[in-house]
Amino acid sequence: MKRLLITLMVLLVALTACTAFAANEEKLLVLRTERSVPSLDWEQTTNTSNMKVWHQIFEGLYGMDEANNGYYNELAKEVKISEDQLTYTVTLIDGVTFQNGDPMKASDVVFSYNRARKNSRFNYLTSMIEDVKAADDKTVVFTLNKPYSPIAHTFFCVKIASEREVTEQGDRYGTIPHKAGTGAYYVTEFDVATGMKMDAYEGYWRGAPNIKKIQYVVIDDLSAAVIAFKNNELGYFEDIPLSEWDFIVESSGTNNALIKGNNILFMGINYLSPTNNNVLGNAKVREAMFYAINKNDINIAVSNGKGVEATQYMPSDIVATSPVSGFKTYGYNVERSKELLKEAGYPDGVDVGTILTYGATSGSKAIMAQVLQANLAEAGITAQVSVMEAAVVTPRLYAQDYDVCVFSDYGNYDFNNIRQQVHSESTGMYVVRYKDDSSPFNWQRIEELVDAGVNTADTAKRLEHYTELWGIVMDSATMLPCLHEPVGVAWAQALDVGKPVPTYYKVRTFKWK
Amino acid sequence: MYRYVIKRLLFLIPTIFGVAFIIFLVMNITPGDPARALLGLSAPQADVDALNHELGYDLPFMQKYFNYLKNMIIHQDFGKSYYTKQSVFDEVWPRYIVTIKLALVGVLLSSLIGIPPGIYTAVKQYSLWDTIPSVIAFFIAAIPAFVFGLLMLFIFSLKLNWLPSFGATTIYHFIMPTLTIAIPPAAQVMRFTKSSMLEAIRQDYVRTARAKGASERTVIWKHALLNALLPVITQVGLSLGVLICGAVVAEKMFSIPGIGSLIVDRILFKDEPIILAGTILISICFTIVMLVVDMTYAFIDPRIRAKYTTGGKE
Repeated sequence: MKRLLITLMVLLVALTACTAFAANEEKLLVLRTERSVPSLDWEQTTNTSNMKVWHQIFEGLYGMDEANNGYYNELAKEVKISEDQLTYTVTLIDGVTFQNGDPMKASDVVFSYNRARKNSRFNYLTSMIEDVKAADDKTVVFTLNKPYSPIAHTFFCVKIASEREVTEQGDRYGTIPHKAGTGAYYVTEFDVATGMKMDAYEGYWRGAPNIKKIQYVVIDDLSAAVIAFKNNELGYFEDIPLSEWDFIVESSGTNNALIKGNNILFMGINYLSPTNNNVLGNAKVREAMFYAINKNDINIAVSNGKGVEATQYMPSDIVATSPVSGFKTYGYNVERSKELLKEAGYPDGVDVGTILTYGATSGSKAIMAQVLQANLAEAGITAQVSVMEAAVVTPRLYAQDYDVCVFSDYGNYDFNNIRQQVHSESTGMYVVRYKDDSSPFNWQRIEELVDAGVNTADTAKRLEHYTELWGIVMDSATMLPCLHEPVGVAWAQALDVGKPVPTYYKVRTFKWK
Repeated sequence: MYRYVIKRLLFLIPTIFGVAFIIFLVMNITPGDPARALLGLSAPQADVDALNHELGYDLPFMQKYFNYLKNMIIHQDFGKSYYTKQSVFDEVWPRYIVTIKLALVGVLLSSLIGIPPGIYTAVKQYSLWDTIPSVIAFFIAAIPAFVFGLLMLFIFSLKLNWLPSFGATTIYHFIMPTLTIAIPPAAQVMRFTKSSMLEAIRQDYVRTARAKGASERTVIWKHALLNALLPVITQVGLSLGVLICGAVVAEKMFSIPGIGSLIVDRILFKDEPIILAGTILISICFTIVMLVVDMTYAFIDPRIRAKYTTGGKE
């Protein structure tokens, strides 16, 4: 009898395990992508929404773990830098195979980098690479044309694809499913319009993922995405609009998180603006404006108080070389603001023109512009607010055709990204033109410091350079970081996502409960 | 009749040329270029120029236009999308079919919902059976389609969990989108049917039919309705055209891969081949719908049929 009972129990356990296993086999995790993925070739766009999808399929020499301080070695086992910082010797990890079963070799890395170097989209990532060569099957040697310490970002962004798979698919590569990545998932069905289905790669070098089938669906409307999640049609939902956050919390219970993002909302001031006899050229007026800004008000209005007030160009908890102190932060002080205005010769207040921004009129930048207007008014500074399409506004910002602006910067994982905002050779995001004939700022030093930060791989030295650089920028009272908007993430009750991250989540780390 | 149909079909050729010309012109005079949209604002101008050259975007306007027409007519080639590098036809056609299905079902629904109450309210003019539906129709006509869409999503997806909120894979996926696009035009069709019926009911031939002792049913259905239907059919035909273009609201809201949302999305990237092919297909469809409407006139009205058969001679 006892033996029979034990046998029955064992059978029952086995049956339960099999059922659970079968259930996991069949369960489909549905995720949203807000924009259609144009191609299965990761080189075809640099859009963040698309890159999140590609991160399930492809891997780079470096990975990105925003929950644990940024870059880590992914396909690279070891990276050695020469004394002159012009040669990077990368040893690849063992046992990595592409989804088609081929082992990953150094020649695949060389092939992938050479493809990326030919693609003008990635000039900003690859222009410093002089040459890439395979020393043997496991070693790749990168020769740079100048020392370039932010190369970690290149190692993260450039993904490795199978030379054989890409070559065999030829012109069709990217338009049809392939097994060219080393990632934990490969695409089985692909439609630009609707999304794609993926299966787990059982031979994945870290071990087969727990979730066997995933599907990305294109839902560009946020309200529709919220309803789809609430209706249990989405298993994982990120970039949740904060206006819907309480609604999402109600339906997801404890399966949600608001994470500090690395996107920052800035106020920019064009000191060259001719408005009101170049009033913004007056440093005291600009400082008065900075002191009048209450970042807490912005946080409440934009993020329901769930954001984090910003003082840095990028969060130091993700970017090791981001300065945390040694620069002015302009805490909210209306009295100080009024004093500065009086000293500037405007005891009865002043009009500074228009606060220009872009995006939806109900979007975070537009809301922040309205808060700025109200904050400035408290100190006696008047301004209009104008919200227009990004395609109209951004060229105006880069042409310095504005008075005051609200803009955002995101996706920065290395402090060198500040180059795009402060260096005269930058072709985009140069919102404040520090280099100008009438510039009162030490723009030469700003540009020297940007270059000095790039020329050394020593983190302490870079931090020192960037602290001085950020100090000059903040002294100029032209660019004020105001708010880190939080990133809302929620997931299904049956799912365990571990520690949620704001951008580059990895489905391979998720599990069915 | 055949001659008339062939003539109308031949009219498609200048229509296509004209549509292509207008789109080319608009794309040419609006700021921006596909390479800049694809590479981003920070890409160096030399790279942008190189990509524009590779895409053939930097050719002179007329050369681009004639190349496009030549490839379309001689090789039946609509080119490749700048954005996805896929064949334009392969991208556009499946989405076109989805939109056509959506619009056809939407028009059918709006006619089914709008015409019967339109007739009834005309027959029962000045009674409560006229006032209540007319007021309701008035309100419905004033509410934008996306409000209906959101309401339906809230009720049928969120609260009742009966219908899927996005996608276009099963028939259930089409229920809310078709209702979203069908209800506002249904109110218009109803108001149109009512006014048309009221006009027909007051005609001499209806009075004559009544005087001759015809039953009320015969008077309404046979004499008044058939005559009142002509302008209603025009309205329905026009709303089909409008729905093909206007289904974009439902397509966006319910994540349906249709032609409208495709064109809207690609405008951002100045994906000229997709925008051109999509617009040309829509204009072809619109022309054919108008032809069908005209032919339906002949089917309903023997006077028009007689005109076609006699070549317009009395």
